[in-house]
Amino acid sequence: MKEPSVAGKTRHTDFSYAPPAGGHWDEAIDASGRTRPHWRRLAGALRRMGYAEFTRRWEAGQRLIQANGIAYNVYGDPKGVERPWPMDLVPLAIDADDWAQVERAVVQRATLLNALLGDLYGSQRLIRDGLLPPALIYGNPAFLRPCHGIVPTAGVFLQNYAVDVARAPNGAWWALADRAQAPSGVGYALENRTVSARTLPGLFDRCHVRSLNQFFEATLEALLSLAPSRSSNPRIVLLTSGPANETYFEHSFLSRHWGFPLVEGADLTVRDSRVYLKTLGGLNPVDVILRRMDDTFCDPLELRGDSLLGVAGLAQAARAGNVYIANALGSGLVETPSLMAFLPGLCRTLLGEDLRMPSVATWWCGQDAPRRWVLEHLEQLVIKPTFPRFGAKAEFPAAMSGEERRLLSQRIEAHPDQYVAQEQVDLSTTPVHTHRGLQPRHVVLRVLAAWDGSTYRVLPGGLTRVATGQRSIVVSMQLGGGSKDTWVLGRARERLEARPTPIVGPESPAMSSELSSRVADNLFWLGRYTERLDATARLIRVLLPGLSGESERGRGVSVDTTVHFLKGLSLLPKEFHHASIARQWWRLQGLLGDMVFEPNHPSGIGWNLRQIRRLSWEVKERISSDTWRVLQQLERDYAGTPPANPDRRFVAALNQLDGTVIMLSAFAGLLAENPTRGHGWRFLDLGRRMERAMQMIELLRVGVALAPFPDDACLEVLLQVADSATTYRSRYLTAIRTRFVLELLLADEANPRSVAFQIAALHDRVAQLPRHDTGESTPRELDLAASLLAQARGTRIDDLKKRHAAAGGHRVTLDAHLVTLRQGVATLSNALTARYLTHSAPSRLTSSF
Amino acid sequence: MLYQATHTTRYLYEAPVSHCQSEVRLTPRSLPWQTVFESTIRTTPAPVSFDERRDYFGNAVSAFAIVEAHDRFETVATSLVRVEANPVAPNRAATWEDARARLADHHQAADLEAVEFVFDSPFVAAGAELADYAHPSFTPGRPLVEAVRDLSHRIHAEFRYAPKATTIDTPLLETLRQRRGVCQDFSHVLIGALRSMRLAARYVSGYLRSGANYQGAEASHAWVSVYVPDSGWMDIDPTNDVTPGTGHVTVAWGRDYGDVTPVKGVALGGGRQTVEVDVRVVPVDETALGSARAGGL
Repeated sequence: MKEPSVAGKTRHTDFSYAPPAGGHWDEAIDASGRTRPHWRRLAGALRRMGYAEFTRRWEAGQRLIQANGIAYNVYGDPKGVERPWPMDLVPLAIDADDWAQVERAVVQRATLLNALLGDLYGSQRLIRDGLLPPALIYGNPAFLRPCHGIVPTAGVFLQNYAVDVARAPNGAWWALADRAQAPSGVGYALENRTVSARTLPGLFDRCHVRSLNQFFEATLEALLSLAPSRSSNPRIVLLTSGPANETYFEHSFLSRHWGFPLVEGADLTVRDSRVYLKTLGGLNPVDVILRRMDDTFCDPLELRGDSLLGVAGLAQAARAGNVYIANALGSGLVETPSLMAFLPGLCRTLLGEDLRMPSVATWWCGQDAPRRWVLEHLEQLVIKPTFPRFGAKAEFPAAMSGEERRLLSQRIEAHPDQYVAQEQVDLSTTPVHTHRGLQPRHVVLRVLAAWDGSTYRVLPGGLTRVATGQRSIVVSMQLGGGSKDTWVLGRARERLEARPTPIVGPESPAMSSELSSRVADNLFWLGRYTERLDATARLIRVLLPGLSGESERGRGVSVDTTVHFLKGLSLLPKEFHHASIARQWWRLQGLLGDMVFEPNHPSGIGWNLRQIRRLSWEVKERISSDTWRVLQQLERDYAGTPPANPDRRFVAALNQLDGTVIMLSAFAGLLAENPTRGHGWRFLDLGRRMERAMQMIELLRVGVALAPFPDDACLEVLLQVADSATTYRSRYLTAIRTRFVLELLLADEANPRSVAFQIAALHDRVAQLPRHDTGESTPRELDLAASLLAQARGTRIDDLKKRHAAAGGHRVTLDAHLVTLRQGVATLSNALTARYLTHSAPSRLTSSF
Repeated sequence: MLYQATHTTRYLYEAPVSHCQSEVRLTPRSLPWQTVFESTIRTTPAPVSFDERRDYFGNAVSAFAIVEAHDRFETVATSLVRVEANPVAPNRAATWEDARARLADHHQAADLEAVEFVFDSPFVAAGAELADYAHPSFTPGRPLVEAVRDLSHRIHAEFRYAPKATTIDTPLLETLRQRRGVCQDFSHVLIGALRSMRLAARYVSGYLRSGANYQGAEASHAWVSVYVPDSGWMDIDPTNDVTPGTGHVTVAWGRDYGDVTPVKGVALGGGRQTVEVDVRVVPVDETALGSARAGGL
């Protein structure tokens, strides 16, 4: 879709709409220019609402999309970022009778393709009886021989199915493409519904739009019923290939909607032909896998030599009948477009009825008569490889020169079975809201169906996608097309249930449910990096003002103190160790500026943000949408180009650091107030506490133990970085003294910034972690946490604050104590990792001869 | 000829492996000319589960998992197997064009079964370059058997046996251009050339009798089987330019190496790994058979 903003000059004020001339069917306007009957109610309601109000609603809808984080990943996008979901608020309206036909046809098609899979992965009678050319199966990379002979529960290979349909100029629906292995779209369809129902509530009610909710309930019921084991409470997981997948948003959305754990291959393991989920508490059996991973990726042992994404042994578990996989491994076979040429005959043989909805006309060139026809009618056709593979493109002979067409014909003649020809499709048009008012766009509807326990049930709606531009007939979310809600209009007498409840609200999901080790690990590191970012931002924020030209003398931290801290914290590059350079404030200002703005600075803000981004995507379904928004905002703050002018850069840095500290406070606040104290929260908090303890220990070493005499300036920095200057003044009513600073920042268990506070919290969290039955009387990590706590409590400040003349006036005892504590925290971290978080990367055994 | 075949595969890891899932095809096939009296697979560390099944091509597959930490994994397959002369006497008169036409029609059940091996497979895709290589051997009207022997002979003569030159991931076309490789490569070239002529060819993995003057006896061997309509499958070994007889023990067959990899697996952890393979196929006298039977067969 074009840029949606309604710019002043081009502002449109009405809903005038004219479909293009040229023989396409238009969804809203008939050939005589009249609004089609089923659009009249919608059109009338829109007119009464008025264009201005509609535009306001549209903007509200955009905000909702942003807020809900609805996104679509684009492969190869240089920015590597998810794209906000492009949705047009004008729905595609479909008449009830018309829809009933689509529904029947899609149910039939799903039933047919399921039966086809049953035959091809079983007796292969269809090939023996000559109804299917063997080349289309035996030569097909999507035919997975290890899956042959596996019969899923109830013979349901396709638990869910999608078909892209389009309307021909005569108004009839055609099937363009089948999606059978891991169809996407239901989650986006439901999100579109949420947005349209919330932004156009009155319209929605008046139009008697059929509800989507029962479909989701029925799907859940069916998945439960397909579980192979007799377990009364089957465990279902949603298997994703991870955040890099284009529809990862949908994976995490559906996992939350249905309450299934979202897992990656590494979260599952196969033992004795059973699938288990690796959780903090041990291995939990898995009965049903709803997979959003392509066939060949699912099992690196049996299905594909070059991928380690999936679960080794999964095919064996399916073969043993111990897990139901939706859809069955190998289902991608029926996505092969060349099969469309044979569906009418197969439908009569397998179902004893005629195919209700035609497929786009398809000719497989491996047969003589179709090949001759194709070669004679090249200009009218689209030529595709028989077996779609990544990177293979469709060819359009109509746009070719005579010579190019001759070469194409030659290629087809040389390897006829490798080519399939399809008719060019005339897509219908539908009105789309643009900055030039309503404009016609070509439209493709993805119809989604699922097994409901006895038959297939079709989602009454589906995902409508529209082309980018008016002339474009390419409808693809990958290529920047848009989407719409699809309103199947009920008959007035039908009782249609109320609008859907908001699906993604500001609720905080229970972070404890079935926590996998991988998710716990990601939460732990999310905690560590957010805290590291906080420490970095706070330190720079305190040091930077002292480096402005004006305040060189007087206010702010002195250059010497800044150098002392940066050097002590290993933030000063080697060239700065030369004293004369280190004292040049503008160079230090540049260094700190780089830490703020330079995305690749290894100890800088940008690097931490990248880690946070990566980790938060991995745990998206585990964090509340408010928390998600905070993390998004954090990232957005640094998205722009920083000012080049040093002064403005300096001011911008301070502003952004303030923003970062505030956003991180919001993050911490949400964590403190909202989530239930499950293991997920516990691991996130363990990460934060450990990092904060480490950071404070380092600050105390540099700012107290190794501080030059007198240490007032260093202590002041410490109090400011630790946000404790106010506390100090109200509590001690005195000038800054080492003893009191140590009390406050090292020993005071009531100060949330002190080392002691972190260590007490660590002990508390560790004590509540799930216990494995290992035979130890006390788990090692609890012992470690307890002794760390004892160490933190067992020191006297008076001993620690002594300086040792022999050691250059350094506080050697304090330094040793801090080093011991640091070592204790590190050991505890390793012990926790070994117990709960270890998941080594899989590797393949070298092929042997 | 009766053989004791011992196939040892050993993986040594730099770091411990906590979990390993493996699948092996190490049990020789039972065939009209090959009788398997005894076949065992021993694995250290001991596996926790051991499943046996037949794969799509009828090969025996053993799948198992090791869940104890280990830095060394060894599997030893031992078989007592008798190989007699292959009774398939290929029709020496049928031309390669006939064979191709029969496969294109595939009206007879055996022809249809063979069609599976005409198409591209992951390691072997037919193409113009392979067809060009095959052409000189496929003169019009030439009997299929003769054409195949000629092609195999040419590969033997024109390709250099070079154990370190290729890995299993070396693309077929690179082998073809460089004219060197090992038995897997020569077999893939022959299969690819035959498929480029739209003939059915399959990959056979097995063993060579030790001590014979053969290339490829130190590890598991590979050769090719060609479908001759009305006769069946004819074996041919391009690496040694021979028709396999009693010196070749057939273990498994498929479309290419990927279908019959002797040992494959996915391990958690491990770091760098090295693999050692040793194959011994020793003729034994018939008394060995007696003791095997006494042992409970």
